[in-house]
Amino acid sequence: MTDKRSETSLPIHLFLIEVSGMDARLIGLSLERHMKGRVQLTNDLTHAQAALIDFDRRGAEQALQRLPPGMQLGVVGYALNPKEFTNKFAGIPIIGKPLNLENLWAALTRAINEPPTPSSSAAPDTPPPSALETPKTLGDSIDTEEGIELCGVFDDLPVTRTENLPEKLFFDPDDYLVGQLFRAVVKSQASQRPLAVAGLYRLIRVVLKPVPQCVTAFRETRLRPISMTQLPPATTRIVYDPGSQDLTGTEIAFATEDILWNVAAWAARGRLPLGSDPYRQVCLKSWPNFTRTFVPPHALRIAALWVRGYASPIDIASKLAIPQRYVFSFYTAAHFAGLLLYEPLALAAKTSQPDLQTPPPPVHAPPVKRPSLLARILKKLLNAV
Amino acid sequence: MRSDRLPHNKIIFSGTVGAGKSTAIAALSDVLPISTEAMASDAAAQLKKTTTVAMDYGILILQSGEKVMLYGTPGQERFNFMWDILSEGGIGLVLLINNTTPDPLHHLEKYLHAFKRFISDTAVAIGITHMDRSQMPSIIDYRSRLAHIGLSPPPAVFRVDARRRDDVAMVVKALLYTLNPGLIDA
Repeated sequence: MTDKRSETSLPIHLFLIEVSGMDARLIGLSLERHMKGRVQLTNDLTHAQAALIDFDRRGAEQALQRLPPGMQLGVVGYALNPKEFTNKFAGIPIIGKPLNLENLWAALTRAINEPPTPSSSAAPDTPPPSALETPKTLGDSIDTEEGIELCGVFDDLPVTRTENLPEKLFFDPDDYLVGQLFRAVVKSQASQRPLAVAGLYRLIRVVLKPVPQCVTAFRETRLRPISMTQLPPATTRIVYDPGSQDLTGTEIAFATEDILWNVAAWAARGRLPLGSDPYRQVCLKSWPNFTRTFVPPHALRIAALWVRGYASPIDIASKLAIPQRYVFSFYTAAHFAGLLLYEPLALAAKTSQPDLQTPPPPVHAPPVKRPSLLARILKKLLNAV
Repeated sequence: MRSDRLPHNKIIFSGTVGAGKSTAIAALSDVLPISTEAMASDAAAQLKKTTTVAMDYGILILQSGEKVMLYGTPGQERFNFMWDILSEGGIGLVLLINNTTPDPLHHLEKYLHAFKRFISDTAVAIGITHMDRSQMPSIIDYRSRLAHIGLSPPPAVFRVDARRRDDVAMVVKALLYTLNPGLIDA
């Protein structure tokens, strides 16, 4: 924001290179809603101050080389795994998918100030980073760019209650797919009528029988970026759905709880739904179905602890000695999946300590027979997921 | 013999006939699992041709070279004398329930009762298999039954395809974290 150039030449005209139609639409919608006046898409490269290149596309490298050499153009990369491209495209800031507007803004201002030099272009001789990487471990996705994408970068709140909660800690579910999908599920269950979320390029149907499911032709790879993107009002709507129209034959059925968990976890990015109290004690009713849902960082540890009794998200983070943002993401997903039990407020006022006494409260080193053995088995199993 | 057996680390796989215990052990084991299969008789014959009569046995070899034994119990109740023998000294129980059998919730309850003492000393994580062929009872029904039984804290219940190593590993990881939520990867 302090960048003089970006301040004097707003809006930044952004040209998309090798970005798919769906991504381009989502980026356009997000910019229109949340960065209007700051960043604007353009179809004219000569007009653009910056370009966003999808490095996951085959033609990205050639497209980068084809850019006019003397052109003062800030270039930003866009990739599912930015680490894969940092060596190959050294000097070009790369943001992860799906789009995070704050990251985009930071990368754009940086790129405009430091346009790529000739040496910044592709270096095909560099060995692929994947060849140098060590095998994945449990903590791999934590505190990396992907971990940040999934759980944000917020600092911890004070352990004791504070009234001044930062606004950015919360998000309005109605701005995201999760709000509309959750409403469709609730309405459908209340009315016992089949409903669907329409307005995206595929329907998401809510089916009640024989088991509550959501049926859609969206694959998870598509559902995830849509879930993470803020949708302009009226993008989606809930419609009555008799179920036989517009079937593509490629629909997948997700358990309602699983899909709500996923879209909420993807939208959360370390935040809580508006109106949540991070100091209020809740209890996890049951483990999420982790074989079929997205598993955020630390999720298994959080679940194992939270099913034992009432505790606030702050308490859970403190007991596990992990950043609160991971617990907030978990909380948000569990909230929309219907897996949380809320301690009555009257009771909450009386209790100041987490109620994890019955069964016994776990601590960092609870009395288990062979903790080191368990850790070693766990390490062995990590590559399986 | 006993002194040889005590240092062994064991994870026990139990559950109904045809739930996929042998398959799950094969999916996870680092060596070719040993199985004691025989032609199925009585009710088991309706579900599959052969069934485990004594045990399945696989090994998880840790980086240090240490071995964790994966023991699968026979599903048929007439071999239930093996359940206590195999579970002695175990780290915890992975319980697999075949959702296509008549009244799988009853089976769940029966197995939890049979392993009650072992579970109270260790932990259990539950995998429901064959849900692609039979959607009911649902995971929610299993949770309700567990709440009714009063098992506390509620164990993990996952939909599992026993052929998928990811699924089986997730159940085992849930078991380990149930034993110790503070566990970190060593």
